[in-house]
Amino acid sequence: MRLLKDQQRVASGYFDTTIYLDGIAGTGKTTAAIERVKELIRSGVPADSILIWVPQANLAMPYRRALQRARIDADTNVPTTTIGKLAYEMTDLFWPLISDDEKFNFGDKFGRPNFLSLELVQYYMTKFLGPEIELRDYFNSVHISRNRLYTQIVDNLNKAALVRFEPDKIGDRLKDALGDSVEQSYIYDDAQETASLFRQRCLEHNLLDFSLQVELFVNHLWPLEQVQNYLTRKYRHLIVDNVEEDTPASHDILRDWLPQTDSALLISDTGGGYRRFLGADPINAETLCDQCQVHITLDNHRVMSKELVALHDQLDFSLDPSKTDEPQSDADARDAIAYAPDINYQPQMIAWAAEHIASLVHDQGVPASEIVIMAPYMPDALRFSLQRELDAQQVPHRSHRPSRALREETASRTLLTLARLAHPHWNLPPNKFDVGYALAASINELDLIRARLLADVLYRNGKLAPFTGIKNDALTQRITFDLGMRYQVLFDWLQAYQAQDPLPLDIFFSKLFGEVLSQKGFGFHGQTDAANIAANLIDSAQAFRQTVSEIEPNLDIPTEYVKMVEEGVIANQYLRDWEDDQRDAVLIAPAYTFLLTNQPVDYQFWLNVGSSGWAQRLYQPLTHPYVLSRQWQSGRRWTENEEDEAHRQTLAYMALGLIRRCRKQIYLGFSQYSEQGYEQRGDLLMAIQTMLRRLNRSDAHA
Amino acid sequence: MPESSEQIERKRFVPRPAQAEVLAYRGGKMGVSAVPGSGKTATLSYLAASLVANADLADDQEVLIVTLVKSAVGNFATSMRNYLQGEFDLLPYLGYRVRTLHGLANDIVHERPGLVGLSDAFTVLDERASDDILDEAVETWTRTNPDAADAFLNGEHFANQYTRNHHWPDTVKSVASAFIKQAKDMQITHDEAIERIQKHPQNLPLASICTTLYEQYERGLRYRGAVDFQDLIRLALRILQRDADYLARLRRRFPYILEDEAQDSSKLQEEILRLLAGEGGNWVRVGDPNQAIYETFTTANPRYLRDFMDEIDVKALALPNSGRNTQSIISLANALIDWSLRHPNAAIRSKQPLTEPHIEPTPAGDPQGNPPDDAQAVYLMGEKYTGDQEREAVIQSLKQWLPENGHRTCAVLLPINSSGAKMVQRLRAENIPYVENLRSTSGTRAIVGSLTRVLGYLEDPTNSQLLADVYRVWRRDDRGDEDAERSINNVAKVLRGVKTVEDYLYPRKSDWLEDTVEDDETMIAHLGQFRAMIQRWQAAVDLPIDQLVLTVGGDLFRLDTDIATAYSVALHLRRFHELHPEARMPEFTEELREIAKGNRNFNGMSDSEDTFDPDKHKGEVTVTTMHKAKGLEWDRVYIMSANNYIFPSDDPFDSFMSEKWFVRDGLNLEAEALAQLAALKEGSDYVPGQATKAARVEYAAERLRLLYVAITRARRELVITWNSGRNGDQIEARPAAYLRGWWAQQQEAES
Repeated sequence: MRLLKDQQRVASGYFDTTIYLDGIAGTGKTTAAIERVKELIRSGVPADSILIWVPQANLAMPYRRALQRARIDADTNVPTTTIGKLAYEMTDLFWPLISDDEKFNFGDKFGRPNFLSLELVQYYMTKFLGPEIELRDYFNSVHISRNRLYTQIVDNLNKAALVRFEPDKIGDRLKDALGDSVEQSYIYDDAQETASLFRQRCLEHNLLDFSLQVELFVNHLWPLEQVQNYLTRKYRHLIVDNVEEDTPASHDILRDWLPQTDSALLISDTGGGYRRFLGADPINAETLCDQCQVHITLDNHRVMSKELVALHDQLDFSLDPSKTDEPQSDADARDAIAYAPDINYQPQMIAWAAEHIASLVHDQGVPASEIVIMAPYMPDALRFSLQRELDAQQVPHRSHRPSRALREETASRTLLTLARLAHPHWNLPPNKFDVGYALAASINELDLIRARLLADVLYRNGKLAPFTGIKNDALTQRITFDLGMRYQVLFDWLQAYQAQDPLPLDIFFSKLFGEVLSQKGFGFHGQTDAANIAANLIDSAQAFRQTVSEIEPNLDIPTEYVKMVEEGVIANQYLRDWEDDQRDAVLIAPAYTFLLTNQPVDYQFWLNVGSSGWAQRLYQPLTHPYVLSRQWQSGRRWTENEEDEAHRQTLAYMALGLIRRCRKQIYLGFSQYSEQGYEQRGDLLMAIQTMLRRLNRSDAHA
Repeated sequence: MPESSEQIERKRFVPRPAQAEVLAYRGGKMGVSAVPGSGKTATLSYLAASLVANADLADDQEVLIVTLVKSAVGNFATSMRNYLQGEFDLLPYLGYRVRTLHGLANDIVHERPGLVGLSDAFTVLDERASDDILDEAVETWTRTNPDAADAFLNGEHFANQYTRNHHWPDTVKSVASAFIKQAKDMQITHDEAIERIQKHPQNLPLASICTTLYEQYERGLRYRGAVDFQDLIRLALRILQRDADYLARLRRRFPYILEDEAQDSSKLQEEILRLLAGEGGNWVRVGDPNQAIYETFTTANPRYLRDFMDEIDVKALALPNSGRNTQSIISLANALIDWSLRHPNAAIRSKQPLTEPHIEPTPAGDPQGNPPDDAQAVYLMGEKYTGDQEREAVIQSLKQWLPENGHRTCAVLLPINSSGAKMVQRLRAENIPYVENLRSTSGTRAIVGSLTRVLGYLEDPTNSQLLADVYRVWRRDDRGDEDAERSINNVAKVLRGVKTVEDYLYPRKSDWLEDTVEDDETMIAHLGQFRAMIQRWQAAVDLPIDQLVLTVGGDLFRLDTDIATAYSVALHLRRFHELHPEARMPEFTEELREIAKGNRNFNGMSDSEDTFDPDKHKGEVTVTTMHKAKGLEWDRVYIMSANNYIFPSDDPFDSFMSEKWFVRDGLNLEAEALAQLAALKEGSDYVPGQATKAARVEYAAERLRLLYVAITRARRELVITWNSGRNGDQIEARPAAYLRGWWAQQQEAES
């Protein structure tokens, strides 16, 4: 793609100064930044002195891919980072500078820190807080599952670190803005007490969760001269993308760092800020503009067709009550959308979407990767039905749903069932049905019926028997020799494993996966999704073992881990599956997930347009993304007006953000009844209806 | 751009004069007392449609229509669409919202969950799931408090272990359940209840027990991140009370509120709507205080609607004309109203069980006029029957009537489900065509039955018999047509004969389909499609159970109520799984079988009077309870068991269901527990035994209304019978005996 004039200025100029670059999505900001990195390297700047800083690891992917493709002369890769990664690296590196500081009161002042991944935080919350909540009857008016309760306590601690207020002020901030009633105040008091308790226990055990890492880095290490010198001397050129999605902690560091660089490029997506619930602060990001020497705005939209631009402006008008002048467009917004008004039920809507997608791919030659199917929520049944419909239409697809509990994935359940079989001394024999499902998933082409026959005949008293032991010829033939032999391979492997000392669970998974399941003839062979989940499970089990065994040497780690996964404590928090998946396939994802990938496509399918989920901000009784942000003035009350504005903004950010990431057309899938049988009347549908009525009225006037 | 548009059949509504008066409404508060059969649903939806058309609503404003039961939502929505398109030439779907009160509360809580300690992912437990939680609590409590029963059992049962182990825990559970519901309705939390018990000067043992269980129950809900149905209403009200700005926004969003079945609203429900309507707001309540039959042990009371109609700024109207019944049946119902107004028992009389207006026939020339009168078609039987004899008499009567009346509808109304089941047994034995509309409707049972079959097969995928059953389920819509029926039977038979199911579903060496069904192309096509469907479901078998059910339901069902019932099943099983994480397919299937058998109080979408259409069952006998019959009508109606146990008048010889035979002093423990709760709330004295007496009066009053509802179900013909009960000591109910005497006098006078 040829760069426009302003993009060229960014790419090849100002190598000795700081630039603030903004513009809405699709104006080519990242493209220009990537060119700038290449130009910097070409001009002799060492690649490892350039730092690409993004709010979330996967947002660095376009840089990594483009730089790999560019094959420029560089002996090292350009490093990429996030505030979390920097905090981890710096705390690890400069630990001795703070470990014996009295104000932290670490349990082992001379020991190493234990860094907790998010799932381990969840685990230690369960350990440290579970008994206390029971004992002290915390949160007795809050109806929320335990796992979600912990997530919100973590969230509060993380917000305190990222927004930079004292972690013991969480409760007060919430109470000031929201604690109307005594009951509400109690909830926030409990939220404070549990957060403080968790922090205290973490310090006692040298456990560093994300919030503590960020706090140590931003508040205590960064101000030290040797730390700042280390970083600012190492990285002379900064490329900071999606600064609007980043947090005040990042912004504060950057504010100090900018004057010390050779050059810096800060990129802001106007109208962005989707990660607000994770602490993103687009308003704070804007303050960095004044710190930069040059300000460039890209306003030439390179993604949306003119019809989509019209749709964008019309919907923006519908969603923003402060706008009084109807937008004038040189195209008809209605041409940018396609919809079927007479669909009553979800299955019809799914079939409608699949047919249109098949026609785009097969008849019009649209690459599958240029199509995305979204809904505000993507429950299993919807995803499954979409996948099956697309299979039937022979359209390749992939899906992504972040933060799913590992227990909900077939691949991880299979591995766990096989682990139970391989470790009879755990005394956790799996259920016969689980054995049947695990066999069907483990052995390629083994259907559920034959798997069931195998489990019926060969699984007794918690143990599998060899296929060769079946005396009934008719049965052997029903299962077929071919499949029976594959079973035998798996059986032999499990037997051989049991003959030795048990391995750590992650190594067991890894061997089982590598030596059997990923081999030809077995269930994970060539299955990217399953392989990714297996890899996640292995990483997760490894992190669990390494950290937990350090802290609790006497714990029976494997069974504890299995229990935690099965209770849903351990979630799939790894980004690997998303990053590497470059298949030419239709993406099925929740709308937010697609938005956060920041990759435009030609065609978007919005399903369940009538759902109220499009406009719903995340509700959490123990925390509040707006009140815990830096923009919130102390003493202010959160009222209905703020709530309503938050709703409106959520919908506007979402809908307009999606449109800006679409090149050709949006298909609106509407089913009159939700899967619950309720009529759907969400705000997005109402906004679209209002827009259509307005356009029809102006047609009539014309 | 839209790809096609829906054609909706045009339907004209011609109002009667009294209906026209209601339709003249333009604003303010209005109460409409509507007699049975007066066309209130049609009138209300027409009114809603005309408000949408004429009230100049902004884009974001809607007329809010609130109904009692879920499926009434569907009925309203359909008639609204028809009126809007057919009569007002407007786009359907816009400008109104139809919700049940629980649905509305759910919307409100979902919009502001944080205000009441909920996250956006909170779940609402149905009765079954919350029952399980209470069960657990009661079980633990009775185990750890074995002597607690001592204070309540009478001498005869004091040492009876069976009573202690079985009847006592059941009683504790039902008492606690009523207590918790009432406490929530009174907005008393368990903490407050504990505090008040400590402060109260008297010892209130029942309240103490119930509060302990309340606390355990709440803990169970909290742990699951869930609320129950009562919470939903309570929390919605709390949100409206707490957040004035949000309330103002909702008031703007819903400038008109139309409420149906208002006689069954509880105080809290009324309070929600009162807040939403606001001072001087637009609120129309339609109901019939004479049909309030859900009041016992709830805070619902027909008095609220009557009081509302007496408020100074409320325009009170009546829809007194009914075109449903013959003049004879109307006279009989009116006679019951008159009798109740001078009820021999002063306490009951003061409760005003039934009040005017009387039912009036339609004016002359009405397009839906009353059926021609036939005084001979009213049979009020005075004979003293045993239960068996009574059933036999009805069976004989039906045997005579049905052959000559194949074009008419007919129902047998019974007081409780179990007596319905006995009647069904007899009908079956006599080969009399019948349809059940008992605890869960046939619609719900059919849906649950279909899902049970599919899950049953997925549990045992090698079983060809079960596979054949699933095939029948899959082709359920084709049934009724003789050819199709034959084809279904043929294919099912062939499927039953498959010895190795895998060779059909997943052929490897040989393909059973190709090898066995060589020539019959239709069968090959059917079996090919069916195979694809089964493969799809087997691929889905590893999904979470609710998602599996949704997937199967999505493939099998096309009606909104069916899909919604499947969704209810999915939610039910998900909760079941949350409570029993070890459950797998056999346990899920078993749970579904229990629902299908009616052993679970499961409310699917089809579970309501409005979805059951008697006119689809001409020439068959509908067996239903008097409660479930509300809102329905048949040409001929049998009212059975009209004795003093079912319709008591608080006579000294009456016995009451809620006064358990093993409890000392004939106490009604539920009533006593609620009285203790009231004493806690008011800080007043509790007098033992008083509540038991008061409950008798309340119950007798409600039962009179039930009789009134039952009588007004009959269009043309009515038969009332009674029996002497299990011990042979029941007598004819007073109101039934009165009506019989009154009717005889009328007939005599006329002759």
